[in-house]
Amino acid sequence: MQKILLLNFLVLISIAAGAQETTSPDQNPNYRQSLEKYIAQKDNLQTTMNTTVQQTYKAYDWYEAKQERKRQRIEDRRARRLYEAQNFGYYYNPYNYLYDPYSTPFRYSPYYFHRHGWRHW
Amino acid sequence: MKSIFYSAITALLLLTVSCSRQVTRIDPAATPDISGSWNNTDSRLTAEAMINDALTADWLTNHSQAKGKKPVVIVGMVTNNSHEHIEAETFMNDLERSFITTSKVSVVQSGKKREELRGEKADQQTNASQSTMKKFGLENGADYILQGSINSIVDAYKRKKTVTYQINLELTNIETNEVVWIGEKKIAKMVKN
Repeated sequence: MQKILLLNFLVLISIAAGAQETTSPDQNPNYRQSLEKYIAQKDNLQTTMNTTVQQTYKAYDWYEAKQERKRQRIEDRRARRLYEAQNFGYYYNPYNYLYDPYSTPFRYSPYYFHRHGWRHW
Repeated sequence: MKSIFYSAITALLLLTVSCSRQVTRIDPAATPDISGSWNNTDSRLTAEAMINDALTADWLTNHSQAKGKKPVVIVGMVTNNSHEHIEAETFMNDLERSFITTSKVSVVQSGKKREELRGEKADQQTNASQSTMKKFGLENGADYILQGSINSIVDAYKRKKTVTYQINLELTNIETNEVVWIGEKKIAKMVKN
């Protein structure tokens, strides 16, 4: 009877030893906290593996900005002409009737300043 | 009158031919710079620099001496922090290929390809014959992870522009988090519009 009990005890010990993970001598005793945390989110953490994550920025390029302004001017002019063609040659801003974004701004002729000077006209 | 007619037809044909699209095959190693953006030459130069550096650096001999076998590398994420859309896969694939062809480094699959492999393995558990079915839990665990970043600096005024790319690849020991190798490649360009 004693032999059977001893055998059972040894079997249980060996099973418990087999189930336990082997730890390194210098391993942090709290490593399981981290293990459980990262095991739970490992699928999310691996989604970008073997890929290029694009975090690009828009660099300011003087020439490209100029080209962009030019394109925008042409587009605005085209939009205004289209609007005027569809609205009997007038632009009406329903939100602010005094404001016409497409109107030609008033500019002094350069000859005006020739005659009067910049400060005394 | 006839000659004028024929010459007009010939001129029209020439005009049509000259306006049509032309495709010329070129050597991939000699891609010309057209817009000044990142291109095949940049990718190739980066790959060459990284391959030379990675295969001659100390980490390889250190690992072989310590473990007695060649290192296993897995490819991680590359972050593109530059001003252009750049796919790092072009030069990363060249690097992986060099690891395999030189037989100095083993590479294990990662990302979506690895998911696909596991999916196939799972499928085999119910559909393949027992003698050919592949088992779970026998994958090679990687020793190192290869990660990287791409950065750029742009300086532009009027029609002149300088662009500098800096590509960094880092090899980190997965167990200890120790960075064992950092590869760097800088590419500078002067673009005049």
